[in-house]
Amino acid sequence: MLIDVHAHCQGPLEDEDDPWGQEKLFVEAMDALGIDIAVVSNLSTPRPATVEGFRKCNRDMLAALKEFRGRFWGYAYVNSGYSREALAEIEYCLEADEDCIGVKLYNEYQISDPAVHPVIEKCIELDVPILQHAGHSLVNTEAQPNITDSAHAAALGRLYPEAKVIVAHLGGGGDWEWEIKALRDTSPNISADTSGSVTDEGLLEYAIEILGADRLHFACDMSVTAGVGKFMSAKMSDEDRNKIASENFLQLVGREA
Amino acid sequence: MMIFDTNAYLGHWFARQIRHNTAPQLVALMDENDIDKACVGSLSAIMYRNGQPGNEELAEEIADHRDRLVPFGVINPDYADWEHDLDWCVNEMGAKGIRIYPQYHNYTLADGCCAELCQACQERGLVVTLVQRQVDYRQSHWMVDAPDLVLDDIAQLCSNHPEVNFVILNGIGFVRSRFVTEADTLPKNSYIEISRSAAFIANEMKTVVDTLGAGRVLFGTGIPMKYPGPAFLKMQHIETSEENKQKIFGENLARLLDI
Repeated sequence: MLIDVHAHCQGPLEDEDDPWGQEKLFVEAMDALGIDIAVVSNLSTPRPATVEGFRKCNRDMLAALKEFRGRFWGYAYVNSGYSREALAEIEYCLEADEDCIGVKLYNEYQISDPAVHPVIEKCIELDVPILQHAGHSLVNTEAQPNITDSAHAAALGRLYPEAKVIVAHLGGGGDWEWEIKALRDTSPNISADTSGSVTDEGLLEYAIEILGADRLHFACDMSVTAGVGKFMSAKMSDEDRNKIASENFLQLVGREA
Repeated sequence: MMIFDTNAYLGHWFARQIRHNTAPQLVALMDENDIDKACVGSLSAIMYRNGQPGNEELAEEIADHRDRLVPFGVINPDYADWEHDLDWCVNEMGAKGIRIYPQYHNYTLADGCCAELCQACQERGLVVTLVQRQVDYRQSHWMVDAPDLVLDDIAQLCSNHPEVNFVILNGIGFVRSRFVTEADTLPKNSYIEISRSAAFIANEMKTVVDTLGAGRVLFGTGIPMKYPGPAFLKMQHIETSEENKQKIFGENLARLLDI
């Protein structure tokens, strides 16, 4: 079983001939590439997201879960700066659809920022994972001044060892060696996903060497041939491949294959 | 079906360790992936101030693998004595073409030295290769700033030198570039390698094949810097005929290089 733990949805786009056109193209790609389930969030709002903005994203995400039942699971996206509304939104989404299985945080705050702590504590209470947008780059830093990197996630893991955090896209374009090394010494509940358009040879083998296969999850972040292709090419044991493909994530969310 | 990889390398990259970067290791990787032949250039030569020793290292490295590895020289036209290096690459190494790196060599595609180099390649019948990005800009080393080449600038260079054949490696964004929007009026002297093009959702590969023709699209992986899997997946799923796939996988490049 192959679960893409980092994907996105956009629709329904009412102005389009087919409001679900992009999602259908994505599901076609999933079929062609052997991806069974994609875990989606909707970030289609100006950021930093307002309360109205993330609520609209999540209503659309919940609609996508219904439209593509069995192929999509979902993350509720919130801006932690609106603490009370964010906590209510997480509860709403998780109750609204059983296939909404976690929370997505973007770049409004670094995950180690105290402003995020209420969301972290809520996710610990509900026992759900957080997919945290992340990257470590020395260029274009002004575009995302509050982006999380692995060091922030590692610090959070030391403060909240029960928190289940997935550091997004090791192949997302930053210094992946830095990202992997910075995650070495923290809670085992701080994991990473393999997504992103970067297909540098050795990336996955290095991640397994430093972090262990137990802390990695297969993902594409919509770069589907990059995601599947690098997973296909990387050298690893069958046991590790199965863990990364889906077993680790299923364990994280308490589901069966 | 012959598989001929346009986009392969040997040597060292300054910013991270590259595995499988000797000729025997690269050939083993090619065997593992059913790649028959590959064009190779020196990674070391890109960052040496004087790139020529990198070309010489490449020639020595591939000496026992000439049936599989086709050398391309790395030439910096802004560096002293480059004409000598170009001739050495042709006459001693047997280069079928060159790779140029203006983003690392401190000149632009509009500079006179670049035009002079293209003219010299025209006179020698050499293919000129441009690499839109050698690595993702977001993972830049703190000592080096090398933004991606702009596709429209590359299109202008191709237009300025209609008698030269150009190959573009690691490119993306062709659909909105002059290569597609002015496909009818630009000279048909550019060849696009597919390792970064999308085969799903945006499906840039289909647009490029439909617009430029399958005869101007080339297979490439980026090995050993990149995993080969993504390029093979794109070829597996590209929406085109088997005949066109054969062209892209190897026939086009063999014809271009007269191999």
